[in-house]
Amino acid sequence: MSSEQIVRFSRRRRAEHLTVMVLFVLLCLTGFPQKFYTHRWAEVLVHALGGIDWTRRIHHLAGYMLAAMTVVHFGAGLAGMLSRQIPFSMMPTRKDFEDVFGQLRHYLGTAPHAPLYDRYTYKEKFEYWGLVMGNVVMVVTGSILLFPLQVTMLLPGVLVPAAKMAHSNEGLMAFLVITIWHIFNVHLNPDAFPFDPAIFTGKITRERYLHEHPLELARLEGRPPPSQGDPLPGHDPAGGKEQA
Amino acid sequence: MSRALLPLLVILAAWPPLARGADEVAACLECHADPSMTYDLGDGKALPLAVDRAVFEKSVHGEQGLSCTDCHPGKTPDHATGSLAVVSRHELARLSSQVCRNCHDGQVAEGIHHAPIARGEQGVPACSECHGAHDVLRPKDFRTHIPAKCGACHVQEAATYRQSVHGSAVDSNDDVPVCTDCHRVHKNADTSPGALSLRTPIICGRCHTDEKRMKKYGISTKVVSTYLSDFHGMVTTLQRGTEKGEGVKLAAGCTDCHGVHDIQLTKDPRSRVMAANLQKTCQRCHEGAPARFPQAWLSHWEPSPKKAPAVWVVLQFYRLMIPFMVGGLVLQISLHLFSVARKRKP
Repeated sequence: MSSEQIVRFSRRRRAEHLTVMVLFVLLCLTGFPQKFYTHRWAEVLVHALGGIDWTRRIHHLAGYMLAAMTVVHFGAGLAGMLSRQIPFSMMPTRKDFEDVFGQLRHYLGTAPHAPLYDRYTYKEKFEYWGLVMGNVVMVVTGSILLFPLQVTMLLPGVLVPAAKMAHSNEGLMAFLVITIWHIFNVHLNPDAFPFDPAIFTGKITRERYLHEHPLELARLEGRPPPSQGDPLPGHDPAGGKEQA
Repeated sequence: MSRALLPLLVILAAWPPLARGADEVAACLECHADPSMTYDLGDGKALPLAVDRAVFEKSVHGEQGLSCTDCHPGKTPDHATGSLAVVSRHELARLSSQVCRNCHDGQVAEGIHHAPIARGEQGVPACSECHGAHDVLRPKDFRTHIPAKCGACHVQEAATYRQSVHGSAVDSNDDVPVCTDCHRVHKNADTSPGALSLRTPIICGRCHTDEKRMKKYGISTKVVSTYLSDFHGMVTTLQRGTEKGEGVKLAAGCTDCHGVHDIQLTKDPRSRVMAANLQKTCQRCHEGAPARFPQAWLSHWEPSPKKAPAVWVVLQFYRLMIPFMVGGLVLQISLHLFSVARKRKP
């Protein structure tokens, strides 16, 4: 039973993750030396990339690609949801807000059970929406910085320094959220340590699904949704005792 | 006190170098005091051979007690006359630089004009053509003469400089820079590599970040830091050391907007950075920049509720948001790990 694999991520989602991952690293590598340009490491990095002109060319190219991906992702998502081919599984719901408190109470030991999760936990939804909304901010401000002449033909010039301020700080925030939150959840989290390969292989074991997404699994298998406290075999999402 | 000094003065006066100096100058001036004494150079010009004792004694070398043969070695009271191995004053000055090197070798070798002289280029000044010969002054006394000295060859630059906010004040004001304060001339000047414009934040910043000096004129000392925190400053910092050249695009340094030798007060109608002239100045690099384009530059102001409130609001938002976000995530991770640890304990 424990070796039974369930497909969690389609080929398309895996490809999207891989692309975003590569582009994000490239954007950080070429963006932060521009933000922290007075530091020695920035100078060394820019020099290694072939100078500031090449650093910016790579940054712009990666930015264009991420912008295109964001548009395609939103377009496809919207079309898919309207034609009912993609479920609204990433949409934040009332349950997500309740889950935040349920999970925190469980961490603090005041609730015996952690909430039961559907396809995406509130942590995953937070990170997803953080990334896509962050992308929107980065694409909009980045475009203003790339086309200051055209922007100031139509709009006040102060938008340019405001966009620069937002672009550089939003980038820093995205970097911090990814390094702190994403790296913890998929690498350092005792349940996942040292590395959760699901987003690359697309598959996770049924047993892990049962622990982490019991509501979705029940739906997939045509069972009625379990309720909190049901004696699910080994259900203990925060315990980390069950390594699949 | 004076009784103790007296023997010392007697000894000093009798000290051979000083005694020789005074005697020697007197001996040479027996002939060389005559203002009509000249020598006909090969180029047809007359070389005056007279030396004004008063001028020499006021010069730094006269003050130091140097005497004639320190710079004119081998000249004896009965030295040959009427045969100089040079055809022009310039050639004489070049040959004399070898004498200057006996004491000032470093300054000569690192001087900006030395390399072209060593390559054999003509018309490049040797030591005495800027510093003088018998009237060499101390650097601090020489300062105000510099624009005229450089201007003897660099005519256009010096004329423009004379009209600028710096050059027009040079005779009465020690705070304004002269040619050598910005351009490296000898080794105590800036000798780092790369285009000069990229180093203007450092060069101009030497005075413009000096609180005491700028206070007198009501000029902000934040002009450099505000420049550096914007696009152009970031790029010039990362481009430092880049040489000018074909296809090399250098970001704007101080002088690209404010001008070089023609810098004016920002309220002067001639200033390139005066509000009315700014669009044209931006267009020098940003072709087709529209009228609102210069607003994208905050004119050396730091964002505040009064200046650029939109930028200030964005900054404040992230100043709150980043710690809030990071703090919240770290807190939740800590709680998560804490619960794992607690469950494992028993």
